[in-house]
Amino acid sequence: MSSATLYSVSYALAALILNVIGFIIPPIRAPITNVDVVTVLAVLIFGALLLAASMLNTILLIWWERKLLGRFMDRRGAMHVGFAGLLQNFADGFKLFRKNTFQPAEADTLGFYSGPTAYMVTSMILFGILPISSGWNSGSLPLSLLLALAIFSFAPLFIFVSAWSSNNKYSLMGGMRSAAQMIAYEVPILLAVVSVVILSGSFSLTTIVYEQQNYWFWGPLVVALIVFVAAMLAEMERIPFDLPEAEAELVEGWNTEYGGMLFAFFMLADYLRALVGSILVVLLFLGGWTLPTWVPSAATSFPLAGILWFMLKTYLVFGLFVWVRASLPRVRTDQLLRVGWNRMIPLALLSVFLAAALVTVRCVPVFGCVPSAGA
Amino acid sequence: MEAADLERALRPVLGDRLLGVEPFEGTAGRVRFRREGAVDLFRTARDTLLFGHLTMVGGIDWVDHREVVYVLWSDTARQYAILSADVPADDAHIETASAVWPSANWHEREAWELVDISFDHHPDLRHLLTPDGYVFHPLLRSFKLHEPEELEVKSRHV
Amino acid sequence: MSEMWINMGPQHPMTHGLWNLRVKIDGEMVLDVDPEMGYLHRGIEKISEDRHYNEVITLMDRCCYVAGFAWEHLYILAAEQALHIRPPERAEYLRVMSDEFQRIGSHLMWYAAFVQDLGLMSPFLYGMRDRDLVLDLFQAYTGARLTYEYMRVGGVRNDVPPGFTDRARKVLDWLDDRYREYDALCMGSTIFRERCDDLGILKANDCVAHGVTGPMLRAAGVRRDLRKDRPYAVYKQIDFDVAQADAADVTARYLVRMEEMRQSNRILRQVLDWLDHHPGPMMADNLPRWLGAPYAPIGNEGYLLKRSYPKGTGFSAVEEPHGEACAYVVNEGALHPYRVKFRSPVFSNISAARQYLVGYHVADIPPIMGSVDVCVGEVDR
Repeated sequence: MSSATLYSVSYALAALILNVIGFIIPPIRAPITNVDVVTVLAVLIFGALLLAASMLNTILLIWWERKLLGRFMDRRGAMHVGFAGLLQNFADGFKLFRKNTFQPAEADTLGFYSGPTAYMVTSMILFGILPISSGWNSGSLPLSLLLALAIFSFAPLFIFVSAWSSNNKYSLMGGMRSAAQMIAYEVPILLAVVSVVILSGSFSLTTIVYEQQNYWFWGPLVVALIVFVAAMLAEMERIPFDLPEAEAELVEGWNTEYGGMLFAFFMLADYLRALVGSILVVLLFLGGWTLPTWVPSAATSFPLAGILWFMLKTYLVFGLFVWVRASLPRVRTDQLLRVGWNRMIPLALLSVFLAAALVTVRCVPVFGCVPSAGA
Repeated sequence: MEAADLERALRPVLGDRLLGVEPFEGTAGRVRFRREGAVDLFRTARDTLLFGHLTMVGGIDWVDHREVVYVLWSDTARQYAILSADVPADDAHIETASAVWPSANWHEREAWELVDISFDHHPDLRHLLTPDGYVFHPLLRSFKLHEPEELEVKSRHV
Repeated sequence: MSEMWINMGPQHPMTHGLWNLRVKIDGEMVLDVDPEMGYLHRGIEKISEDRHYNEVITLMDRCCYVAGFAWEHLYILAAEQALHIRPPERAEYLRVMSDEFQRIGSHLMWYAAFVQDLGLMSPFLYGMRDRDLVLDLFQAYTGARLTYEYMRVGGVRNDVPPGFTDRARKVLDWLDDRYREYDALCMGSTIFRERCDDLGILKANDCVAHGVTGPMLRAAGVRRDLRKDRPYAVYKQIDFDVAQADAADVTARYLVRMEEMRQSNRILRQVLDWLDHHPGPMMADNLPRWLGAPYAPIGNEGYLLKRSYPKGTGFSAVEEPHGEACAYVVNEGALHPYRVKFRSPVFSNISAARQYLVGYHVADIPPIMGSVDVCVGEVDR
């Protein structure tokens, strides 16, 4: 694993740029190579890099879904733009970008525009919190898990705002469904996470990953994993839980009235959230960027190995979501809520008790012993 | 079931309102009746002759009158029967069959708007295939296809 | 939320065509519905009065755009009765073959659209993929995939090309496997059963009262199939069973249609075997020459032409993929039919919408209407 963190790279880049400018225009060299100025620029570069990485990954994720879905459906998916259709999503995005932005005559302008924007922005912030590898130090906040989940649960508010302000009955119904669904599935997600926290003893995602050095948490916490994945599907509004935008009855639900770039915001944010969901599964249950100890060290020692393994796991997890989407029909609102309150929450509670018992017993027969930090 | 069977069953009920039953290839027969006997005929056909299905209602615009054609199906006899009544063109109306067979509802709406035959006591005589406020009756022979007409049509729901 | 009316249509994914379902809802519950038709009304019955008997066939293909053959057959039967013509036997077998392939094609289209309404995306493409094989067969012997213009008053246009029957059998073998796959994807899925069981119930007596026919009626436990009850063409010589279920819900309609496809396969194997061993003429002898008259008088004057051909009225009924279709053709001894009236099964099936939609959820409307198998072309005509 490389020792340089993303921030140190940005800092070096900022210093380099400012020094070059100072070299070209000597009079301002002293003021702009001040540490504060360099730090500000470094943070900006850091943000830009994160943004680029998240956008690139999101678009790649859409490509991955399209190809995978295509294969499940006995077709090829995007084929023509770029190698194996890799650039198709850029073409689609460009098309949406060129489109006229319009709003329905009776829509509330403030809500109509701020809803998708806030939805997009909060989803992007999420990406900044999550650690991708050991060098990705943006995730080393002590309570990063809690923060990520808190931001993740903002979404229903913004969806509801944009749905209501579109002034469309379908949008309103979609917004209501979305709010009900996300609130109902917030609880099982948190409970499933609690069992991870109990086992690892930390709210920091980086720590949680390092706690999985001996064994990945999916083994002892398989119930929590199932609950977490199912609830994540509902949070991401993917089939079988995509009723807020059920195209059969609600014509895309809460984003019925959106077109052009505003629609692209929703689309991108949806996939950003899907990416974050997959990343959370990898971080909490699948050992993050680490590999099991029996893997030869050659596989983990080359540069950027952590990121590679992490992305591989993330895309595989997302592939699972796509598989589910390709093979399951959509459930109904009342069934969804019933499953959420009657099945998910008891299961999640069960896994909390299991985790607590594990911490007490300390050692698991197959998986080894819980590290002392977990107590 | 033959045409004679139909005649035997219907004559006591309808009397001279039954104009006759003639054989019709592929069906039990074609019952011709006066429109005054419509309600009695429908009830007898459904309850006594067990024609549970009203398959279709259609209108034909003849040169001097209009004809209403009903097609019935009986699940017990596994046969169709055709009922037909002549109504004068200037006073084209007949009792609705939808009280006896609810399925007549839409068929009669269609006959009303396309062939201009009115159905008395119909629960919901609105336009079905043509827009509200459409004044023409396209299936009349007087409606020529090759002469365009202009018409302002209002939306059903504003 | 208080009660409100929403328009599901005329442009709505649920409609599978062009019509408007006005729905009165309270939250997620359906309180009342009011279907509005007519967006696709092309006046086929009126245009038919202006055409030669054989020219009407073109319109029949457009009547229902997924079951063109069934409507061609329907009209041809009525027209032949009105004109007192008998087709040769091989033509009848070819018509039945076309009918049954059309039933498979139509049901596959229904399957694709129906599972799409439930959010199942892959089977949608499987259904369309397999329907394409059937369309390929149509293309092989009619030259067209959707609007065939194949049947003629007095016979059919042409024979099937050499090697066609073997190719058709291969398609049937492929389809037999696929039906199992479809069942695994739908009946094997808990969510599918949760969504479809006890949904959109329409009991047998309600079906009969509201004129509901076809798979919906058979799913309510009524064993009624015109191919058995009133055999037309050569169905009398063919061995098959009538699909039937008792639950009267969406699942039952699904099962009935699946079984119908299997039965169609069975019918087709018999028909293909017969075609292999019985060559013969395609058209009846001594057809009146004016059937193929090269010119069409403008306007409606045609019916005034006096000819020495007997008048007559034709009535026919066929078991269309959607249900029971009837045609009533009046021949007044003119070049054109005097009046043509069609009875569309979907017309009646939709007219009963209030009976099977009210009381369910908004989310249930697409699967229920999907199980009705709406084809607006034949409703509006």
